[in-house]
Amino acid sequence: MREASPGADLRAGRALRNFGSALAAYALLLAALPHSRPLFARLFPELDRPLYEQQGFLQLLAAHAGLVAASSACAVVIGLGAGIFVTRPSGREFRKLAELLTAMGQTFPPVAVLALSVPTVGFGFWPAFAALVLYGILPICANTIAGLDGTPPAARQAGEGLGMTPFGLLTKIELPLAAPVILAGIRTSVTINIGTAAIASTVGAVSLGSPIIIGLNGNNTAYVLQGAVLVTGLALVVDLGFEAVMSRLQRWRRA
Amino acid sequence: MIRFSGITKAYDGLTVIKNLDLTITEGEFCVLIGASGSGKSTILKMINRLEEHSSGEIRFAGAEIRSFRPELIRRRMGYAIQSVGLFPHWTIEDNIATVPRLCGWDEARIDQRITDLLKLLDMDASRFRKAYPHQLSGGQQQRIGVARALSADPDVLLMDEPFGALDPITRDGLQTEIRRIHGETGKTIVFVTHDMDEALKLATRIVVLDKGEIVQAATPRELLNAPANEFVREFLGKDDFGLKLLLVEHVRDHMRRGEAASSAETISGADNLRNALSRLLALKQDHLCVVDQAGQPVGTLHLADIVA
Repeated sequence: MREASPGADLRAGRALRNFGSALAAYALLLAALPHSRPLFARLFPELDRPLYEQQGFLQLLAAHAGLVAASSACAVVIGLGAGIFVTRPSGREFRKLAELLTAMGQTFPPVAVLALSVPTVGFGFWPAFAALVLYGILPICANTIAGLDGTPPAARQAGEGLGMTPFGLLTKIELPLAAPVILAGIRTSVTINIGTAAIASTVGAVSLGSPIIIGLNGNNTAYVLQGAVLVTGLALVVDLGFEAVMSRLQRWRRA
Repeated sequence: MIRFSGITKAYDGLTVIKNLDLTITEGEFCVLIGASGSGKSTILKMINRLEEHSSGEIRFAGAEIRSFRPELIRRRMGYAIQSVGLFPHWTIEDNIATVPRLCGWDEARIDQRITDLLKLLDMDASRFRKAYPHQLSGGQQQRIGVARALSADPDVLLMDEPFGALDPITRDGLQTEIRRIHGETGKTIVFVTHDMDEALKLATRIVVLDKGEIVQAATPRELLNAPANEFVREFLGKDDFGLKLLLVEHVRDHMRRGEAASSAETISGADNLRNALSRLLALKQDHLCVVDQAGQPVGTLHLADIVA
């Protein structure tokens, strides 16, 4: 009855431990992969070069993570900002437009966004970055609108009636209550971006997708496998990280 | 304390309040009553500027309310609503501390205030301070809603059908509580309801509204003795009109002071005659022992005293 119940703490603790174990396993994988030539040589005896060695895996991971982090950060700022704006009285007219764009955007395949950004910004990091930002905004904006809509009207009415400023009401009541939904949107966005960033190697960005693309072009299944394992593992680790944050955030609900 | 002069309110050409004049004096428990659409909630919300009046003037503490910033005027007025609206992600103590924090009180003073308010509303502080709203029953939540409304010691308490969603027993308990709080603190209270029994029990003055106009404004007793017209008479009810008369009479004014009772059944002197009659009928007795606030017997109330 008093503090958050032990059950909630237990669940939050378990989520954190899961994240820790996944992170450790991923680090182990990353350390072991450069020494795995004998394994891949045995699995794919027909290949001359069974291990991707053009760039270090750590270097690929850093480039991949940097691309995802930079584009997701941008997407969060824009998506959250747009979602807040269209739910305020001053931005209400743009709400329909935002919802339409979000719905349309989500039916658009990520590859198409990549292909379209090349003619405008050329090859390399920037078209990938632009495509990831654009694609990443959509779930964040949609969930921000849904989350803010879902805050209890009574709490809003009471907050206003007790003399909170519109800014205070947004930052102290609406955003904290909408946080789980907004965070779920960010989680979706980041997870999709981790996958899409791999495809971004088709437009010349360096990422964990590089071994996959090169492997596909050169019929080197071992390269594809090495890239795919690292991308999937990264997505999994990040997802568990979100899980840990979210279980902490929602402790009051289960108290 | 609050004065409406010539207030009109219109939405999209539809007039909901027509040329309203109403003065609420300090210390008054003013109950606005009417059917839905009578404009009672709108009048309440115009006081703390959740609704803006179209024309006329509303003065609060001597100044037109539009001369205040809406947030600042609201912090000087407690506000409690039917749906309570506790912040679900905040503990009970944080909920109560809302307005004091907005007003910049220091934490020690806030802490003392929370303790006092929980005591005033008869809530166990050790059990509830750190609890979250969803762990409380509806009645407990509304007690906290009232505590939150009172937290920064406001000049006026605005209550919009605060007990409308509660079960009859809980509602009765909270009605007794708010009457006691009004007596103890002397706060000006403006209270909206559509329940005439509630209005009769609580009000020092009842304002009956119909289609945005005042039909009658009078003390509960005046209203019962001289309803202004058929509308008010209908609102007072036909079948149980007599019982409503008993609602505004208190046991202590009708008891036989000093008489020793042979009955062990007691009733508070502050209770109303309708409850007394109900007790007598239920117990199949002809008198009750009247006790004061401390529970000491002070006299008796006989069945005949109720009718006399």
